[in-house]
Amino acid sequence: MASLQKPARPISPRERREWLLFILLLGPNLLLFTIFTYWPLLYNVYLSFVRWNFLRPQKPFVWFDNYRSVFSSALFWEIVLNTLTFTVWSVGLTLVLGLALALLLNQPLRQRNAARAVLFSPVVMSGAVVAVVWSYIFDPRYGLIDQLLGLLGLNSPNWLGSTAWAMPAVIIVYVWKNLGYAVVIYLAGLQGIPRELYDAALVDGAGPWARFRHVTLPGLSPVAFFLSVTSILATFQAFDIIKVLTDGGPVNATTTLIFYLYELGFVTYDAGKAGVIAVVLFVIMLVLTLIQLRYLERRVSYG
Amino acid sequence: MEQRKLTRRQMLRVLVAGSGAAALAACGAQAPATGPAPTTAPGGGEAQAPTTAPATAAPTVVSQTGSTVNITYWGSFSGGLGEAEQAMVQRFNEAQNEVKVEYQFQGSYEETAQKFTAALQANVIPDVILLSDVWWFGFYVAGAIAELDGLAQQAAVDFADYEPVLLNEGVRQGKHFWIPFARSTPLFYYNKQLWAEAGLPDRAPETWAEFSEWAPKLVVKEGDKLTRAAFLHPNGASYIAWLFQGVTWQHGGQYSLPDFTMTMTDANTVRAAQFYQDTARKLGWATLVQELNKDFIGGVGAAMLASTGGLAGITRDAPFKVGVGFLPRETSFGCCTGGAGLAIPSGTPDEKKLAAMKYIAFATNPEQAGIWSRSTGYMPVRISTKQSPEMQAFFTENPNFKTAVEQLPLTRAQDAARVFVRNGDQIIGKGLERIIVNGEAPATVFADVNQELSTAAAPILEDLKAVEG
Repeated sequence: MASLQKPARPISPRERREWLLFILLLGPNLLLFTIFTYWPLLYNVYLSFVRWNFLRPQKPFVWFDNYRSVFSSALFWEIVLNTLTFTVWSVGLTLVLGLALALLLNQPLRQRNAARAVLFSPVVMSGAVVAVVWSYIFDPRYGLIDQLLGLLGLNSPNWLGSTAWAMPAVIIVYVWKNLGYAVVIYLAGLQGIPRELYDAALVDGAGPWARFRHVTLPGLSPVAFFLSVTSILATFQAFDIIKVLTDGGPVNATTTLIFYLYELGFVTYDAGKAGVIAVVLFVIMLVLTLIQLRYLERRVSYG
Repeated sequence: MEQRKLTRRQMLRVLVAGSGAAALAACGAQAPATGPAPTTAPGGGEAQAPTTAPATAAPTVVSQTGSTVNITYWGSFSGGLGEAEQAMVQRFNEAQNEVKVEYQFQGSYEETAQKFTAALQANVIPDVILLSDVWWFGFYVAGAIAELDGLAQQAAVDFADYEPVLLNEGVRQGKHFWIPFARSTPLFYYNKQLWAEAGLPDRAPETWAEFSEWAPKLVVKEGDKLTRAAFLHPNGASYIAWLFQGVTWQHGGQYSLPDFTMTMTDANTVRAAQFYQDTARKLGWATLVQELNKDFIGGVGAAMLASTGGLAGITRDAPFKVGVGFLPRETSFGCCTGGAGLAIPSGTPDEKKLAAMKYIAFATNPEQAGIWSRSTGYMPVRISTKQSPEMQAFFTENPNFKTAVEQLPLTRAQDAARVFVRNGDQIIGKGLERIIVNGEAPATVFADVNQELSTAAAPILEDLKAVEG
């Protein structure tokens, strides 16, 4: 904010008015941000340096004890790995399947709009409801998947009851729920690619694959980038489905950083360690956001 | 143009800082939109409390209309139990006009405790609160719940008529802090229909050895897939550590000593865990399920250990006749108590405290304790209730309920590791999941659990020393 107060030239009344308007427009938002975002953010950093159980009146300052104990626990790194697995698979599948479906739905099909609506509908459903329904689908004894695999003569894995299958189950549900969003964004991207480029490629004798490879893909790259960043940010915050579907288990197989934060904070009541996890998440998200912003800025200057 | 461009860049700069912070805030800020997740605000209790508390909390002002004192009661019962609870409150409100209770459902035992913690930070507290066996103690050492002896005297509560095994759990240094209300014990539940099909006698097994002989007759397999288990284990979140408590005692083990020394690595405790693992793996007749009661009702398994608190609901919902019995013995008998009791927050104003105590007195009086017990399956917490003609007639009609009451004198309070160590229940529960689901060696897992419990117990011991000297 300090830099706002020292413009290079003396301030004319006109500029002063503009500054006033600027602050007037920004003020209410800034106030809300300060109260509900910046203050909790700073307070959380403070909490990460104290030992506190939410109940005691005193919060002894312990410097980096919480950080040391979090980073030295094997569980934390297991959870980091879980988070990476969940993020990479969820984002990867969403981007690839989303593109495939978007290309399909971009064709002049009958009932195309109906298909788009159906595909998008899981996005607007409540995560808790989705998780409850899928917990029935995954049941190894009477679930839908068991029935379908039974037709092929296969046994259903014990999806939610085994440490090996619980994470794939969560990823499936998460991708299913969020795929529609990626499809809609890709579709918008596809429609933004100028027709002339395809015409030119045709004239040059490019086949379908060459057209996809040299026109569609480059044309979609900004959209794909945007999607990957927003999806990564969203998967880092995925909570509802995990909470209802597996409750982070069995053992800790589906505990991600955000779920661990909840467990440390509101199950174990360890505000200090929960604060550490929140700081870790904050740093990760800040870096991702900066990367995205940098990229967008470059795009703007090219445009 | 020049001016505008400058502003925009600066705006962007502000946004960089803003969006970074917003990214974090979004963890919590987005959660409320998606349902039951408002507890994730990373800013901690202080940040979270104001956003969640007002929605559920009662007005803080002492709102007296005439001579009526309005009080708020936070509870954890939904479904059939919730209806029984509402009915209790309604009977109280209709029976007198000095106190009016407003019942507010707060979610599970865990969620109720979480919200109470947040409410304490925001200073918007209920006047009566239902706390489970693993939660009341944490609030006691934090000084958040009030000593009730003086109030009980004013409300003419006769502690001598309460089941001592239940009442004494809520006593610290001779003072009452936690009054038994929805108290339970584990029972051995079995599916009578499957029992009959397997040609088994119509009773619960007396020992685990006997059940191990019966179990293969109850199991149904398709290839190597277990389509019907003889016995069901719950997962950690559904309190397997509570049900396993009795099993450790039966094997001669225990979770901890009264002085908080952890005994998870005791040979007999490990032996009990080895038995649990064998049921699911070596012997292969048990399985761990996500929804214990639902899967028992659905016929996924023929038997289980589960709370008496589910007896009424399971009996009503099961398409087969339900049998119950004492827990099986091993080298000895072992069975713990459980469930929830009522407490009054220390911060409740005095005139409301007395009103709150009057409600507690009503909800646990011999007549109401009987109604509550008959409609849910929880223990009658009063001695005189058991002897009442209504209760006797009910026992004759529903012998299953009598089993639970008969087992009560044989029960004892749980080990400190589960009920007094914060999250001790989940620490042990996750260890059992590793043993049963992952097949890890019980001795290794319980060594880890022992370590974790000891670490978690240290701050509690510190607090306890500060409170009790």
